[in-house]
Amino acid sequence: MSALLEVRDLSVRFNVGDAELNAVRSLSFDVSEGECLGVVGESGAGKSQAFLAALGLLADNARARGSVRYRGREILNAPRRELDALRGRRMAMVFQDPLSGLTPTARIGHQLEESARRHLGMNARQARGKALEMLETVRLPDPRRCLALYPFELSGGMRQRVMIALGMICEPDLLIADEPTTALDVTIQAQILRLLGELQRDANTSIVLITHDLSVAAAFSDRIMILYNGRLVESGTTHEVFRSPKHPYTAGLLASLPSLTIDPASDLPTIPGQPPDAMKSVQGCAFAERCKHAMDRCWSERPVLAAPGAQHAAACHLLSA
Amino acid sequence: MTTPLLSIESLCVDYEQRRAGVFGSRTQTLRAVNGVSFELSEGETLGVVGETGCGKTSLGKAILQLLPLAAGRVVWRGMDLARADAKMLTGLRSELQIVFQDPLSSLNPRMPVGEIVAEPLRVHAAGMSARERQLAVSGMFERVGLRPEMTARYPNEFSSGQCQRISIARAMITRPKLLICDEPVSALDVSIQAQICNLLRELQRETGVAILFISHDLSVLRYMSHRVMVLYLGRLMEIAPRDVLFENPRHPYSRALIDAIPEPAPNANPLDRADPLPGEIPTALDPPSGCVFRTRCPIATPECAQTSPQTENVSESHHVACHHWRC
Ligand SMILES: Nc1ncnc2c1ncn2[C@@H]1O[C@H](COP(=O)(O)OP(=O)(O)OP(=O)(O)O)[C@@H](O)[C@H]1O
Ligand code: SF4
Ligand code: SF4
Ligand SMILES: [Mg+2]
Repeated sequence: MSALLEVRDLSVRFNVGDAELNAVRSLSFDVSEGECLGVVGESGAGKSQAFLAALGLLADNARARGSVRYRGREILNAPRRELDALRGRRMAMVFQDPLSGLTPTARIGHQLEESARRHLGMNARQARGKALEMLETVRLPDPRRCLALYPFELSGGMRQRVMIALGMICEPDLLIADEPTTALDVTIQAQILRLLGELQRDANTSIVLITHDLSVAAAFSDRIMILYNGRLVESGTTHEVFRSPKHPYTAGLLASLPSLTIDPASDLPTIPGQPPDAMKSVQGCAFAERCKHAMDRCWSERPVLAAPGAQHAAACHLLSA
Repeated sequence: MTTPLLSIESLCVDYEQRRAGVFGSRTQTLRAVNGVSFELSEGETLGVVGETGCGKTSLGKAILQLLPLAAGRVVWRGMDLARADAKMLTGLRSELQIVFQDPLSSLNPRMPVGEIVAEPLRVHAAGMSARERQLAVSGMFERVGLRPEMTARYPNEFSSGQCQRISIARAMITRPKLLICDEPVSALDVSIQAQICNLLRELQRETGVAILFISHDLSVLRYMSHRVMVLYLGRLMEIAPRDVLFENPRHPYSRALIDAIPEPAPNANPLDRADPLPGEIPTALDPPSGCVFRTRCPIATPECAQTSPQTENVSESHHVACHHWRC
């Protein structure tokens, strides 16, 4: 598998008043062609900002540095026109709140047709056909009727399907789904994950699934990336990461899941403390104050990701001790 | 079995909804909770699961008399709460407490957190001196894992996990006998969820408080509950002891919920999983005839559209509302 997206040393900084907030800190990773990558981390870990930066969708008070290559071509901070073309055609993003990605005052059909005309150069009739076809692909019940509806007339699950249809209409190589099922009920979540899986299989689309829910990532992705405080702390095949987590944070997260196999009579293992403040900068390992293995070295020296690009890697001093 | 602490009998909750129509607006009744019955004993946790809008929150609020009942009874320690006068209700509030989903918005932003936690004592233990209250508050802070020096700070200086600890401290300070937890960990980070779950379990062990634990997350629910109740469109589908429900669910909806749990099974192809339940959740304004679950049920028969299934006993502690639970 060759890399579709190569991210190197990506940093995202926000200006907040007279302070600086580091949302993403020298992050490097690849997304391969046709794969499904799960990106996991707690709130504020930088999951969304990393991908918004890649797509050129950062807020005005943010600055991105580093490099993001799409099929070898540098796109970080590229001119707006170039990004617009790329975003519609090659890469699409689906958000947690599907309302934020849809225009509230336009009918569903109109929004889909608009995209087909602009990005695929279709005429009105072709675009109408394409819109209907997309709603069928995402298995919206009664697609013909839905074309004429406004976003607020749909349930949360249906809206998320429409968002995915809008993302997929130009057959992008890469679909970034940011917490696509967090606002949905379990049985609807299962429907949406199934749909994404089918799209990946049938259209060979690469999918990045951003989620705070380790179980969702595990059940869905081939490879997994764990972020903490804006940095990559562990990455590997989902199988490897779950079988033998290398980073104490990943191990702690896995242990604290109330999975169906845990004995409800015993207490859940927990990670003490709270996620760190993105405003503060730490010299050593950002996880040190919550880590039961922390050594002297952890407070002064930042661990680096051993063997980036390897099947399974983590940033922890335990691995080089 | 001892007499239950709380007994809910055929509870119904209605909302009036104004709907704009061609001939002007008219009101329509939405039945959010429909004929739900169950009991809860001291020291017990009953988990409540169901889809968004299935009436979980309305049920909790109706028990606390924060919403009027359209029908049915809430019997608390043998007393029908509908018969309680305002003064008795105020007294009872110290025995019945609630913790909400969104920790920050349930705390008054202009009050130091120590005052927030002390507030119920002012109302329910008016005889306490300021000094005694302060001691009780610092004790409670310590108990929920917050430093007592923090009492002078304001809610916005705390993380959401800490805010949830503050809400729990406020709810537990009057030593309630029943705690209703409405999605208490859904808004929290994964690494904080386990901390709060453990805290609630410890508090229950220490004080014997009964807990009604509302959640859409079945794996959290399994860990927290002694018994589990499954709701769909305001109706009770199934209620059973935890292990029975997870190992031998009888209702097709319970089975679908359990199948939909994204268990970490790495390398499992999502396409190999059981088929997800098809279709959308119908609106409670216009529920399906007969069994409300029939529009999504994989084993529905014509009978299901005709008659609404009665709750039947699978065993003394296991009840299910389905015509075909024996299949
Ligand atoms: N417009 C903004 N101005 C200032 N800071 C911001 C802005 N947007 C995001 N941030 C900060 O950037 C950091 C990373 O945010 P990001 O949204 O990437 O986190 P996330 O991992 O996606 O979290 P969540 O799980 O909550 O979605 C956070 O500390 C956040 O508060
Ligand atoms: S580097 Fe040190 S503190 Fe950080 S995770 Fe590893 S052992 Fe723990
Ligand atoms: S009564 Fe019929 S529709 Fe309802 S759950 Fe049972 S089989 Fe399904
Ligand atoms: Mg995010």
